[in-house]
Amino acid sequence: MSLDSSNSKQRSINSTSSNNQSNTSNSKKRKSNQKTLGMAWGANSLSGSRPSFRSSPFSDFGSYMAVKNKKLQNQFDAQASNSSRSDSYTKPIFDGVSIFVDGFTIPSSQELRQYMLNYGGRFENYFSRHRVTHIICSNLPDSKIKNLRSFSSGLPVVKPMWILDSVAANKLLSWVPYQLNQLANNQPTLSSFFTPKSKPADEGAFTNPICEVKHETGLLCLKDASKDASFSEAGNSFEWRKQATEEHNKLMCENSNKTLIDEPSNRYSEEPKEVEVLEPTNLQEDDESLANNRHQSCPEQSSASVSSHCFDNRGIRGSPRSSVIGPSKQRHSTLKDPNFVENYFKNSRLHFIGTWRNRYRNRFPSLSNGWTKSTNSDVSAGTQKTPIIHIDMDCFFVSVVIRSHPELNDKPVAVCHSYNPKGTAEISSANYSARDYGIKAGMFVRDAKGLCPQLVILPYNFEAYEEVADKFYNILHKHCNRVQAVSCDEAFLDVTDLEGRDPQLLASAIRKEIYEATGCSASAGIAKNMLMARLATSTAKPNGQCYIHPERVDEYLDPLPLKALPGIGHVLAEKLKNKNVQTCGQLRLISKDSLQKDFGIKTGEMLWNYSRGVDNRLVGMIQESKSVGAEVNWGVRFRDFQHAQHFLLDLCKEVSLRLQGCGVQGRTFTLKIKKRRKDAGEPTKFMGCGDCENLSHSITVSIATDDIEVLQRITKQLFGSFHIDVKDIRGVGLQVSRLESADTSRQAPERNSLKSWLMSASESSKEQFDINSIAKECMGTDSEGKNMDGNSSVLHNASVENSVHGINKPSNGEGCSNQNSSVPPLCDLDMGVVESLPSELLSEINEIYGGKLFELITKRKVRGDNSSRSLCFIPPEPALEVEAETSHNSDPVSLSRPAVEMRDEQPILQELQTVPDSGARSNSVAISTAGLENNDLVPSSLSQLDTSVLQQLPEELRADIFEALPAHRIQETSAMGPKTDNERHPLGIKSAADNQPGSTGTGLSNNLWIGNPPLWVDKFKVSNLPILKFVADMYYKANSPESLSSILQCTLAESLHPLDSTCDAWNEAIHSFNELLMSYVKLKIVVDIEEIYVCFRLLRRLSTKSEFFLEVYNLTFPHLQASVDENYGGTLNIHRHN
Amino acid sequence: MEIKDNPSPQGEIAGILIEFLEVAITSVVSLKGIYPPGTFERRKYMNVVVQRARHPQLREYIHSAVSGLLPFVQKGLVERVAVIFYNTDNIPIERFIFKLTVNQSFGSHVEESDLEFSLRSFLIKLSVSRPLTTVLPRDCKWEITAYFRALPQVSASKDAEMWIPTDTKQWQQPPLITPIKSMNSEPLGLQLYLEHPSPSELLSG
Repeated sequence: MSLDSSNSKQRSINSTSSNNQSNTSNSKKRKSNQKTLGMAWGANSLSGSRPSFRSSPFSDFGSYMAVKNKKLQNQFDAQASNSSRSDSYTKPIFDGVSIFVDGFTIPSSQELRQYMLNYGGRFENYFSRHRVTHIICSNLPDSKIKNLRSFSSGLPVVKPMWILDSVAANKLLSWVPYQLNQLANNQPTLSSFFTPKSKPADEGAFTNPICEVKHETGLLCLKDASKDASFSEAGNSFEWRKQATEEHNKLMCENSNKTLIDEPSNRYSEEPKEVEVLEPTNLQEDDESLANNRHQSCPEQSSASVSSHCFDNRGIRGSPRSSVIGPSKQRHSTLKDPNFVENYFKNSRLHFIGTWRNRYRNRFPSLSNGWTKSTNSDVSAGTQKTPIIHIDMDCFFVSVVIRSHPELNDKPVAVCHSYNPKGTAEISSANYSARDYGIKAGMFVRDAKGLCPQLVILPYNFEAYEEVADKFYNILHKHCNRVQAVSCDEAFLDVTDLEGRDPQLLASAIRKEIYEATGCSASAGIAKNMLMARLATSTAKPNGQCYIHPERVDEYLDPLPLKALPGIGHVLAEKLKNKNVQTCGQLRLISKDSLQKDFGIKTGEMLWNYSRGVDNRLVGMIQESKSVGAEVNWGVRFRDFQHAQHFLLDLCKEVSLRLQGCGVQGRTFTLKIKKRRKDAGEPTKFMGCGDCENLSHSITVSIATDDIEVLQRITKQLFGSFHIDVKDIRGVGLQVSRLESADTSRQAPERNSLKSWLMSASESSKEQFDINSIAKECMGTDSEGKNMDGNSSVLHNASVENSVHGINKPSNGEGCSNQNSSVPPLCDLDMGVVESLPSELLSEINEIYGGKLFELITKRKVRGDNSSRSLCFIPPEPALEVEAETSHNSDPVSLSRPAVEMRDEQPILQELQTVPDSGARSNSVAISTAGLENNDLVPSSLSQLDTSVLQQLPEELRADIFEALPAHRIQETSAMGPKTDNERHPLGIKSAADNQPGSTGTGLSNNLWIGNPPLWVDKFKVSNLPILKFVADMYYKANSPESLSSILQCTLAESLHPLDSTCDAWNEAIHSFNELLMSYVKLKIVVDIEEIYVCFRLLRRLSTKSEFFLEVYNLTFPHLQASVDENYGGTLNIHRHN
Repeated sequence: MEIKDNPSPQGEIAGILIEFLEVAITSVVSLKGIYPPGTFERRKYMNVVVQRARHPQLREYIHSAVSGLLPFVQKGLVERVAVIFYNTDNIPIERFIFKLTVNQSFGSHVEESDLEFSLRSFLIKLSVSRPLTTVLPRDCKWEITAYFRALPQVSASKDAEMWIPTDTKQWQQPPLITPIKSMNSEPLGLQLYLEHPSPSELLSG
């Protein structure tokens, strides 16, 4: 079966032309013996099952084909190199393109082959999903159209003209316009949705061809994209690295600003220039994101799926909408659009409206806060005659878009997120002429078109909205300093201050100015209060204004249907209708009491007030949102659990950003899931959620957070509790409620946590690394630092793998300074950790920092000063014996027991700080928090603890766990505990406490534990015994000072300097302390033996360090046991015999 | 169920407590692993994962034993509820003691959610307490024993008849106590601790 090059042409003609007949008849039969040919559809009509074939050197048909393909390729390559040599003018425009010609084409497949030869492409004689990138054909039989997927394996099916035109243009054109007509007109199928659909950017109208792209291709929108070069599909395997160049906190309001960076390693990037042209100047033009392909080793490997949807904005810009969905079985891809959530929200109008407020607040921060308080005083005076102007842009979302299309002014226009031939997208907003046809928001495009065939559908233009909204507010703020923003296009003005001016004139002036500035009209309502002003606006619309004189309010309201009132929705209106109340006039006849009885106090009062035109709200009272969240109910299709997890993480990110944007933190987290009903099919609305059950679970944690890691953790947990098949999920929403202001939650518990954390942390700084744990530690460090970077709370659940990832990425992508997961700033690095790293790692990190790290280290070494500032560097992590075995010795048991056995501790802080490398190796630290199953699980750091569990633990228990953690980790825990300010100065605090004027301690009474702070604290503080003073100080530093165990724990952690100094009053001190303990035992023995147990365990530990405590312990212990025996009939197992 | 029938705070507390004890005792039994692993299944209670007996008889035993305590708990008669593991000689090896204190004079309404937070910590701590406990020999038996402050009248309740004096022997020496968890939140005080025979006991025994 050898072929020489002369007849290869002939053969390939034969084989390709025979495809059509053969594949139907033979493919089934052959299936069994051609694994490798599974995709080689119609490859050869000659059969593998022929007996004669068996005698060939090939063991089976598959291997024969493999060899044959290889040979054909070699021939092709040889020819290609010949032809390119002979014709040096051609450039390899088809680089990366590998075509397969199906059936009869004009020009013939041989000519096409020649083109591919000459222009750097590949030509496949036999179809292979892995090698072919494009299928070229002119016509397809019906059966193939119907079963496009199995026919094309998701590859683009393109007309041969594409090749010719590309050659003529001497560059690779987008194949999209050349898509086979039969396909382009086809209805979008779910599977095809996964691949990009787009349209050439130079066409004004929406065509929505479905194209199957082999790889995810970015929709590149070129600034000068007059031609349809906006697609780079040729390379197909470009790997784009997306970078968020923006700070987190800006992300919400400003659209994130992404740039694409072409990986230098990209083998197939044939149009790097396009990449660079990419809208570099326009910040708003952000999301040419897309190509999210991790680099694939083999370019032919088809991979999943982004669908990009291009909207034509001024013929230049594209705002791709991507969604990831669904399992495509033929593709074995694990890829998805990693940015689905982000892109989703970028293209969501609701999101725009929802997040707009933050943008507004950022723009007018002083304005929105500054005057609210001052206005409160003149409330009563003002309500009488306060003129309120309510101003509202007329069909904002449409008019902004069409202002650049004056020809559309009188035509019915609607805005919609997408346009597809099925017409299953929903209208978001329609202008007045469209509304005349009965078109409403929320209507399907299909239905709208039915009502008004000439309806023009336009896409959103978010940056134009922002621009107009900004102008709108600029004007409002110019005229009036009391502006309450309701939404991006709607606001209330309180013009009381502007007494000199007629509000009506003012309103028309503002409207005129708005029109001039933005080209969009606005309507205004003027009345005595917000309610009436709003109602007036609805009368005034469109493009008008209306003044309701205070005396004519009743007249205005009487005939008003109830539904026109804000706050009265379907349900309420329906209820009232049942009572035969349909207008405000009728409503007014009902007494307040009976309204309140029927509808509840608040609603009743509202009804009563509103029906009389009474509205006591003040302009500028911004209602704080009760919850912050994000919900995605469109385009949600998960292929597997991982996929869903990934989505959740993104959602968390979004929510976290929103929380941070609003400056709040929440305690209750609700995960809502829309689950497809069992019998529900694909929804009518394309990619919509259809008929769903709404499920929700929520968790409340004790400490408010906005930290993404915590959020993700909690969300994962919540998600797990659904026990749901991810394939049934049609929508996911995460809501955070019980909001607290981020500032207060950061400050309040500061006293308790921070000081003690820092103090105890410093103590542990002497610990050296176990060499085993170094790798782990350093990973931990990296992510730790990262977390501190954004001032979010530091609580990471980064597994080692994650962290490795984190560390590697920067090093690979070195040079890209703005990496998404960037390295923490130098100053955030824990130098102690860094210095203890193995040298290879250190130098790698150093590289990341461009050498600055070494400098810093040197500087640190030189700097001998041991000022407390060195505490600001997070102390090095103590050793964590990773091997679980060691935990046997150290009794890994209980949470309540501080399981950290610190030995070799050196009391001098300075020494530790400056010479961390020489620190003594600490002994093993073994803590067990233990999963349910695991006997002695040793969480070496909080990252291995389930935070949400931790957060739900009672205060003391949590303290116990923290206690049990290596002390430095406590820093992390401060994230779980109250947020703290790292700059605090533990030594300062301490010295302040030390400066108490000393006097002699006196006898201690029995009620030592009464009072706040308890009596003993004062007694100890004024005592002249250093040890007692020290303990008293600990009271202020302890996490929960009401419990002695916490104080002792603190003492244990704090005892940096020798506790023992013999003095005259040695005995007195022992006596005092003994008394304190006995008093405590007495207090707690009946109700809380656990606390006593913990105290004495701690005491025992202290006794190994200090003579003083040893004596106290020995003195107190018998009393303790007697007391326990009395109450419990046993003795406390302090020494742990079992 | 019972909770609804008892309008008094003590009744409510007792209801909550009984339910909790049922779960906690099951957790103890599961923790000690005296039944094959398949005996229990994971369930959620008070928002934490707990074990629930799958075998109807085992479940019934725990349930009936504990709910039989309800009237006594309500009256504050029950001082301790012990889960005792003992060997073939009826000598206890390990005892899990729930020490109860129900404030009889507490007047105001009690919500389960108020106590839930505290009670949950027992379950959490219990689930990680295995290392505190001893390894049981083979052929262990166990029982639930309640210690009353005063002997109940036999006629008091039908449930009470289910309770019989225990045959389990007592330790001669005061045991070693290892606390697991304590809570004291009015009106309920609850402590869970372990009792092990003291070393001298082992020598003498």
